[in-house]
Amino acid sequence: MEAEQPPSTWRHRRLRHRQTDPLAAQRRRVGLLFTLPGVGLIGALLIYPIGQTVYHSFTSWDGITSRWVGGATYSHLVHNPEFTQVLENNAILVLAIPVAIAFPLAVAFLIHGKIRGWRFFRSVFFLPTAVSWVVIGFISVRFFANDGILQHLLNNVGLGFVHPDMLSHERSALVAVMITFVWSMFGTNLIIFLAGMATIDEEIYDAARVDGAGSFSVMFRITIPLLKRFVQFTFIITLITAFTALFSLIFVMTGGGPGYGTTTLEFFIYEQAFSAGDFGLASTAGVVLFVAVAAVTLLQLRLLRIED
Amino acid sequence: MHKKLIVLLIVAVALAAGSALAATSGSGKVTLTLWHNYGTEANAVAAVNLAKAFEKAHPNISVKVVSQPAANYFALLQASAISKTGPDLGVMWTGLFAIKYQKFLLNLKPYFSSAEQSKINSLRYMAPNFDPSKGFLVMPLENQFYMGFYNKALLRKAGLSAAPRNWSELYAACAKLKAARVIPMVYGADPQAIQSSPYPWYDMSYLLAGIVSPAQWKDLYTGHMPWTSPRIAAQMTKWVSLRKKGCTNKDVLTKTNILGAFIKGKAAMISDGNWDAATFQKALGSKVAPFVLPFSDRPQKGVIQYSGDGFSVLKYSKHQKEAVEFLKFMMSAAGQKIIIAAGLIPDIKGYSTTNSLSTQMLDFAAKQGSTPYPMLDNVIQPEVVTTGQKQLDAAFGGDISVNAALKSLKATLDQLPADRKGSIYK
Repeated sequence: MEAEQPPSTWRHRRLRHRQTDPLAAQRRRVGLLFTLPGVGLIGALLIYPIGQTVYHSFTSWDGITSRWVGGATYSHLVHNPEFTQVLENNAILVLAIPVAIAFPLAVAFLIHGKIRGWRFFRSVFFLPTAVSWVVIGFISVRFFANDGILQHLLNNVGLGFVHPDMLSHERSALVAVMITFVWSMFGTNLIIFLAGMATIDEEIYDAARVDGAGSFSVMFRITIPLLKRFVQFTFIITLITAFTALFSLIFVMTGGGPGYGTTTLEFFIYEQAFSAGDFGLASTAGVVLFVAVAAVTLLQLRLLRIED
Repeated sequence: MHKKLIVLLIVAVALAAGSALAATSGSGKVTLTLWHNYGTEANAVAAVNLAKAFEKAHPNISVKVVSQPAANYFALLQASAISKTGPDLGVMWTGLFAIKYQKFLLNLKPYFSSAEQSKINSLRYMAPNFDPSKGFLVMPLENQFYMGFYNKALLRKAGLSAAPRNWSELYAACAKLKAARVIPMVYGADPQAIQSSPYPWYDMSYLLAGIVSPAQWKDLYTGHMPWTSPRIAAQMTKWVSLRKKGCTNKDVLTKTNILGAFIKGKAAMISDGNWDAATFQKALGSKVAPFVLPFSDRPQKGVIQYSGDGFSVLKYSKHQKEAVEFLKFMMSAAGQKIIIAAGLIPDIKGYSTTNSLSTQMLDFAAKQGSTPYPMLDNVIQPEVVTTGQKQLDAAFGGDISVNAALKSLKATLDQLPADRKGSIYK
């Protein structure tokens, strides 16, 4: 009688079988063949440009000729007084992300509960997603301007003595950009949460209600824990949007000012490359941005894994 | 039958290809692309009319005029130059702006005789290192002014008979205009501005003209006169106080359409340039007059008069000969007539303007003893200009201190390599 073999030996044997099986080998070859166009495309359009950016981040490059200068560009960047403020601006912008997630999550919960007119609200809240950043920027300028809609609202409720004139001051201009950003992300995140809530089994809710759970208990003890993956996803896309997709909004709303008040890292990259013509320094800032987004994303993924 | 059809097809294709080839080579028509960032200002009128007249004079050349946004014109021009997909001709600012982009620009010296070059008034500022022996990169379109304009009727309404000439007169005028419920000076941006807030270098040029000679501006380039100099800080402090004293509208950084406010008689004075003079004249007639911005303790004796812009040929152009021909046409009597008709002041010797506002501006230096200065932003490093656009505005808006803004300019200059602040303009 053959003694029972340990599972590891079984796996080893199955692997060896797959390696020697001609059909499996052919499938592997075909599989590789099919992935080649994808690999080629990603390599050409993503990996190669990233590699080039990393290379140019060590050069003095004016767009035509480049000269290897090693880490000097990084030292130059770190000693650039404006760069500190740019990093600060990005750090402050991160504070908008929880708000950009919490608001749509709460509203999605209400809409999912089929409150009166939920279909109408779903469409209305999703609307900003279909509007271009440039248009959103122009609307925001009209809203936050010294004699804009916000000031008129304040005048009409008897608070005319308050003149926020938000776009004229460094910090308040950044807050105006953050508010606009939260508003424009609202629709996207709302739809993601609604899609997530649709995947939750209704019986779980029914059981909770039978057990006497109220709306808040249902939201905090059932919905949110079961939406963890969706929250994680929205966090990542909101972070990436905040760091890499607000250029047109800032360009239209504030031009990065007053001073460097709303200059974010991506705006700084544009200015260095196309205003100052220093493509080397712009590449260096690009690498910093890439590392920052990757680091925050990885940290967030790691924290969620630890919780799991 | 089948073979006959194939032969017929081949003959048809060959004939079509032949006729197409004959059309191309026979007509020999060349299309030049010209980019400008003038919006609809007088310079744009001149550019479009020059292109039309040039086409008429050169039936084998057509000129496609493309209006690019002012705010990121140079970014677009640079990106297209790197990929060699841009225009044959483009608007170029002179001085250090042209030097910054000289890698993309054709040196025009071999194409123009010495006699032709000597006709250009401000050839120096078109040249690498401001040295005409090294050639030149830009054909100037016009002689420009950074200039204040005032509404005579509004000043009269406030009991003022003339425009202010120094700081104390300016502050006094502000008080009287405020009492008459008129905004003394309007600041902000206009729809065609190069940025969404005031362009601070108009005023900065006059602030510096109020304390140093034109030759000393090189010291700002080299750093021998630091941006944090107490004299500059004192001038800046007085300038910033304009808003604090109510000499300006409150929303200096965010107000739009300032030209509209001036034209509609809501503001008495504006800091601008001669390119808007025709617009002011059309709307206000004889009520508008130019004045040198009075940013000086003594009566201001400097006037910012300089050929700030023109056209360059891009190095990668496949039609360099034709593009140079366009520049020669600009210099010709026919070209200068078009430039003058658009309300601009010619920069070619032998031609002058008849426009009354332009004549008044020219008279500051020609008859009233003012000293002409170049535009400050054309003779200092573009990096410092960019920082200034942000930080000087932030100081003017009261968001950062004067010293912080000036420190920022100094830090930008300090960070440049030594050869970018040496004796040679680079």
